[in-house]
Amino acid sequence: MLALLAVTARRLGAALVLLIGASFLIYITIRSAPGDAVDAITPMGTPPEIKAQLAAEFGLDVDPVTGYGAWLKHSIVGDFGESLVIRPGEEVMAMAAPRFAKSLLLGGSALFLCLALTMLLSILMGEPTVRHQGLTGFLYFVTAAPSFVAAVFFTQGVNEFVRGVVEGSGYETPPWYPIPISTESVMPYFFAGIVLVIGDGLFMDMLNGIRAEILAVRNSQFIAAIRAKGASTLPHIAKNLIVPAVSAYVSRLPLVLGGVVIVEYVFTLDGGGYMLLEASKQRDFPVVVGLSVLFTASIIVLNLVADVIRTVVDPREVARGG
Amino acid sequence: MEGKSHQLGLWLSGLVVAAVMLLGLVAPFVPYDAADAVSYDQILVTPSFAHPLGTDAQGRDVAIRLLKGTEAFFFPGLGAALVSVILGAIFGAIAGYSEGLLRSLVLGFLHLIDTLPRLVFIILVCTIRDPSIPLIASVTAVLFVPTVATVVRQKVETLASEDYILAHLAHGFRAVHVLAYHILWLQCRPLLVRQGAFVFGYVLFVETGLSYLGDYGVQEPDPSWGNMVAQVRDLAGLSPWPWLVPSAAIVATISGFLAFGNIVAARGEEVVR
Repeated sequence: MLALLAVTARRLGAALVLLIGASFLIYITIRSAPGDAVDAITPMGTPPEIKAQLAAEFGLDVDPVTGYGAWLKHSIVGDFGESLVIRPGEEVMAMAAPRFAKSLLLGGSALFLCLALTMLLSILMGEPTVRHQGLTGFLYFVTAAPSFVAAVFFTQGVNEFVRGVVEGSGYETPPWYPIPISTESVMPYFFAGIVLVIGDGLFMDMLNGIRAEILAVRNSQFIAAIRAKGASTLPHIAKNLIVPAVSAYVSRLPLVLGGVVIVEYVFTLDGGGYMLLEASKQRDFPVVVGLSVLFTASIIVLNLVADVIRTVVDPREVARGG
Repeated sequence: MEGKSHQLGLWLSGLVVAAVMLLGLVAPFVPYDAADAVSYDQILVTPSFAHPLGTDAQGRDVAIRLLKGTEAFFFPGLGAALVSVILGAIFGAIAGYSEGLLRSLVLGFLHLIDTLPRLVFIILVCTIRDPSIPLIASVTAVLFVPTVATVVRQKVETLASEDYILAHLAHGFRAVHVLAYHILWLQCRPLLVRQGAFVFGYVLFVETGLSYLGDYGVQEPDPSWGNMVAQVRDLAGLSPWPWLVPSAAIVATISGFLAFGNIVAARGEEVVR
């Protein structure tokens, strides 16, 4: 137990170092703005007093090290300043955090669904045979579609096609769409989730990884021994799949969160990804930075959670010392 | 059991890769004035001999826009793949071969870049600097260095204790030579081809994605497969050709490159064994 705590504490420390490192990379990126940083990152016609306030908040008017310290002091307590354009004067954290939570929920549940489906499919497929090659070839092609192509196909393609067919057969334009695009209903989120599961090559990547893990566990000697003794192998297989499943989940998280940004924009879902692109287009710089930090921090925190789960489930992790 | 289907997969995906290469190399030599191509008496023509893939809502030929659209991602994609493969091989070799502080520093740095959500970071950079495709490709290249480096590092770690490598070192070959030639060049080429194909596919994905969204990618009237798909918004379901053709091209190219990389890597592993 003590060893477990020690390993967890060390992992927490490593995550903090990563968090600080990542925030430094983001800060350096801001500093790399061409010319006068404040002029470059603010929209035209920003009043000078706001520029001065921004320069102070982001530490842009001093040397990089002092400036980073100043910025870190604000951002570590979640103070990312105030929005400039999309909702002038509003606290970035207050407006961005709830939206970001939506994105995380969308991406997180899509990834979970993908994991569950690939596990089920791997179990159904069992040992690799020649029969599967047609299926995997087909899946390769379909799931390589970038999320925006899949989203376009779902929304515009299907909706407009149905409308075209209805109008073409002499009826009036129907007042409904086969795939609803209003944000009031839960359906767009559902379709956005499906697009995330099958798009961006995620499904195939996950299927390959999970399938290899399941086969490796099923064909390992201790499972053969358990089977020879006549005991049920299922609980053992399940327990040994927790670690690979958790690893597969967190390692795909950055990809899925990127997909969320595009999918939210295409489906006009008012999440953090939509806000990020809107703010970026209108050069609402504090909002973009705040959301970038939230996206990055969530990945680091979830990696830490995954590490802790792995340590609790697999005692060998403790023996290795993390 | 994999042999025969690999053969078919290799031919199919190789065909896609060769076709994209050909289009990408030919496109710069084909004269095309995007602003001048509009012809309002040829709107949404279905495929014919004059317009093999039809025309779009502004009467522009889809086929030639598909060809010219490769310019947006072809050379940036190749450049990004090359840069991240070279940098990834160097960092991976250092991380796999060195010990102590250097190893920890390189691993920590790679891990740090790997935690950044790629698309979010690309959007951040586009907000701060003037967005352009070469900039997006450069950022992509850097963001993929850890992915390449991890694969190389694992290979180097397993090979470093092999007898023949130790024998080379014992005969006085320099470690840099052994690493660069015997490990990276002779053993890692198929893996590096695969990683390069991934990076190329990702550049295509980001370029077409951002061009689809507007603002950061290729701007109308210049063609990109992404902004061709975006035309679906003005089509009102009248004709599927202008958006279905570039969509299919994007999916075929990405899946072709991914499959090609995977098959090359799998065959490479078989040959080594």
